[in-house]
Amino acid sequence: MGKEYGSEPLGKVLYSGRRPRRRREWRGFRDTWYDYTRWLYYLSVLARFMMKPNNFKGFFRYRWMSNYLAVPDFMDRHTEGLRGTALRLAHEGIGLIVIDMTLSLTDMFKADPEIGNDTELSKKMVIFDENMMSTIMGGFRNLKWVSYEVPAIYASSFMCQEGVMHYVDKTHEYGVPTDVCPMPAAELGAAIDDDLPKIGACAVQCNTTCDGSLMGGGLMARSMGIPTFQLASPIRHRQESVQEYAGEEILNAIHFIEEQTGEKFDWDYLFENMARFNDETKEFLEWLEINKTPYPQLLGATLGFYRYGEYMAAGGRSPLFLETSKKITKLATEAYRNKEMACKEYRHRAILWGVQAAYYTAFPNWLMNCWGIVPINDMLCCVSTEMVSTTDKHQALLDLGYLYENMIMRSRSNGGYETGVEDLFRICEQMNADMVIMYVHIGCKSMAGYHGLFEEEARKRGIHWIWVNHNLMVPYDGTRRDMRTEVNRYMRTILKEEPVDPSLEDFDDSLCW
Amino acid sequence: MKDLKHLYYFEKLLEDSYNDLCRQAQAEGKKAIGHVCFQIPEPLLNLPGCFSTRLRAPRTGSIEMGTYYMSSTLCEACRAYLERALEGGFNFLDCILAPDACAQMNRCVENIEKLGTNPKETFFVTYADVPMKSDETALKHYVKQMRIRVLEPLQKNFGVDISDAALRKAVEEQNEISRLITAIGDYRKCDNPVITGYEFAVLCLATYCCPKYLIKEKLQETLEELKTRKSDTPNKYRIRVVVVGSEVDDPEFIKLAEECGALVVADRYCFGSLPGRQVIELNDEEDILTQICRTYLQWGKCPRFFNQDKIFERRDYVDQLAKEYHADGLIYEQIKFCDYWGYERASAFHVMQEEYGWPVLSVDRPYSVRSSGQLRTRIQAFVERVEMKKIAEKKAERRAN
Repeated sequence: MGKEYGSEPLGKVLYSGRRPRRRREWRGFRDTWYDYTRWLYYLSVLARFMMKPNNFKGFFRYRWMSNYLAVPDFMDRHTEGLRGTALRLAHEGIGLIVIDMTLSLTDMFKADPEIGNDTELSKKMVIFDENMMSTIMGGFRNLKWVSYEVPAIYASSFMCQEGVMHYVDKTHEYGVPTDVCPMPAAELGAAIDDDLPKIGACAVQCNTTCDGSLMGGGLMARSMGIPTFQLASPIRHRQESVQEYAGEEILNAIHFIEEQTGEKFDWDYLFENMARFNDETKEFLEWLEINKTPYPQLLGATLGFYRYGEYMAAGGRSPLFLETSKKITKLATEAYRNKEMACKEYRHRAILWGVQAAYYTAFPNWLMNCWGIVPINDMLCCVSTEMVSTTDKHQALLDLGYLYENMIMRSRSNGGYETGVEDLFRICEQMNADMVIMYVHIGCKSMAGYHGLFEEEARKRGIHWIWVNHNLMVPYDGTRRDMRTEVNRYMRTILKEEPVDPSLEDFDDSLCW
Repeated sequence: MKDLKHLYYFEKLLEDSYNDLCRQAQAEGKKAIGHVCFQIPEPLLNLPGCFSTRLRAPRTGSIEMGTYYMSSTLCEACRAYLERALEGGFNFLDCILAPDACAQMNRCVENIEKLGTNPKETFFVTYADVPMKSDETALKHYVKQMRIRVLEPLQKNFGVDISDAALRKAVEEQNEISRLITAIGDYRKCDNPVITGYEFAVLCLATYCCPKYLIKEKLQETLEELKTRKSDTPNKYRIRVVVVGSEVDDPEFIKLAEECGALVVADRYCFGSLPGRQVIELNDEEDILTQICRTYLQWGKCPRFFNQDKIFERRDYVDQLAKEYHADGLIYEQIKFCDYWGYERASAFHVMQEEYGWPVLSVDRPYSVRSSGQLRTRIQAFVERVEMKKIAEKKAERRAN
């Protein structure tokens, strides 16, 4: 027990085989005190959130809200084993996402006809798909971007591993086959179950990640009861010839929002937000540079969650994200200079490819703590880092079009072999990675289609390749323990290694949040 | 009914992708253009010096290699095509011109390309980005893509004439085939048709897989034959159905349905004639390529078109077909693991039944259906259900009179 990494056998001291943890982790006085005060802070944020009458009503109106009881545990999971700067980076990054979510929920419940019934606010809201970037809303000064699928489904599943199973079941009862991706299935299930707020002046849907997601959106539009626009972003997004169409579709979406809300698109406001967005991108590039070195700092879930929130949801509109990004860069740079580590041993540098399991987003922490596998980059973070023009309207449209083509996940699931396979091995080379943790999301057809090619290419380049099966939001099809077992087997039988923390090799967390 | 004179001939053609007519056309110096989706307009692939053949994997057995490369959770048709390519079944092709229409078929073609399955040095593959909506912005994009991903590569690699005159000629050739197929298909509207759904499926499928100019004569003769052909009396079919859904590139599925007593009177599936075998009308005012693309964009009934207008249009179209062909019910089918049709089928099951009033059977199926007892049982049960409904309606009518 102490401030050093690996000072406690985490598998034994934290996991009891039941839902709550045995006790809080002891990280030495300084880090434990910091962690505990942050934990109390999240509790106070939740308490303040619940004290608002609308939010209180919302908690009992929507089944998925109960998943948010697990927020403090969610933070504990994603800071497991961390010390020093790595711990602080996780709290800075992931903590901001939690706070941002409470603000978004507060607005949603206020506008909800069944709760706050603020019709004026509702008329100012534009509903976006869950996997769709909010960036174009940066040109509408008086409108609010809302994506209710994020708190209802996407984040719910992060909080509690079985959090959206009910909605997936609803969709299967409706007749959708069980082999489709659980995410659009759960979203559709929530719509079928009348468990999404009826808010907004209009909605914009997008052919985001995959064919299933697109089809789920089409059916959901039926239940929304508001005008919807379908933004068709090109699929072969690396081809120069598609960029013009991508830009035109962005313009069509802008015109649609203008027509439905009566608001005029404000280019100056967009440029202001895009300047901030570009600055955020620059900070992100700094983190990647640090991660290329032997002392990477922003790792696994911290990098993934923060990038999602900043790139997809905030979209340059929130000064708070840029401030936090700068703070993160400062912390990470100092830690790099001091040669700080984020776990006890760095044995392998891994790229996480494919879609992560929403019910086990803390898996990268386990990889570090148990086996010393450092997740230095994640497919979901490998998105566009191109700058958006802040002076030329036509160029800005083209740049936005390119951004939308390169939304998180979509940038890799679409675009063909070049983006799905070739880029992976290029990134491995750039980041000095010797291992790929390949998530096999059972319902994801995009990556599964490269199964054999992945293996052949990895073999050719001498990259360790570990397949990890899961079913995104359905833990029964590939439990957290199953996922760990697949890594354990590879590490023991192929690499003949012993775990850094043997207590983490096998433990029961099936009943945990 | 007495067998159609050329039915066996057409059935034999469908037993192999590299059939006698493809061989003949290649021997005449024509280039074989492989395609995988309705989204690349066929006339562009049948310009002078070329003929198109849509990829199929007839008589598929094991798909183990396809499964290794693409995993077991992908569409069986895609895996079967890859398997066939690995076996050398598509070695005769000179190129594949594919759209990025669904992720699974795209992965199939990418595997075919990256695994170097085709030994020809000049073999190439292109991937076109095809729109998912049907408005004017999408049309402009579609035209551009067809020009740079289809026409220009054909011209560059094989010296194919892509002039307006050549396009017009290709459209006219397809129109001739379409007129014949439509005239043959129209017999299915009769009370007791002189052609079965299976027979029609064989003829229609041949138009997708064989050089068109080589089958025209036999289609003409078949049409003539139908004019005097006598149908079976009494009619052995118990109900009439429209089949709607994903690829049916093996008429065995239609045969299976008809063996269960469901006469397939309309084929609104991929490889079917509705839409796809109608006449392309050209005017002299607009660019030919734009006119062809507009027609295909309007025809497109794949669920990948996700704008709401298209979603409603698809349902209305099926309703209209069912009425026009005097159907008693609808069979929505999909090859397992197809995301597009998985959702479309689920929603159609509710919408077509509750809002349009059609009895609907919703099934997913393996690629190869010959031995599917489960599918047979489900279709038989549907036939009984619809038949009971018809009897009940007749009784109610009699009582009312």
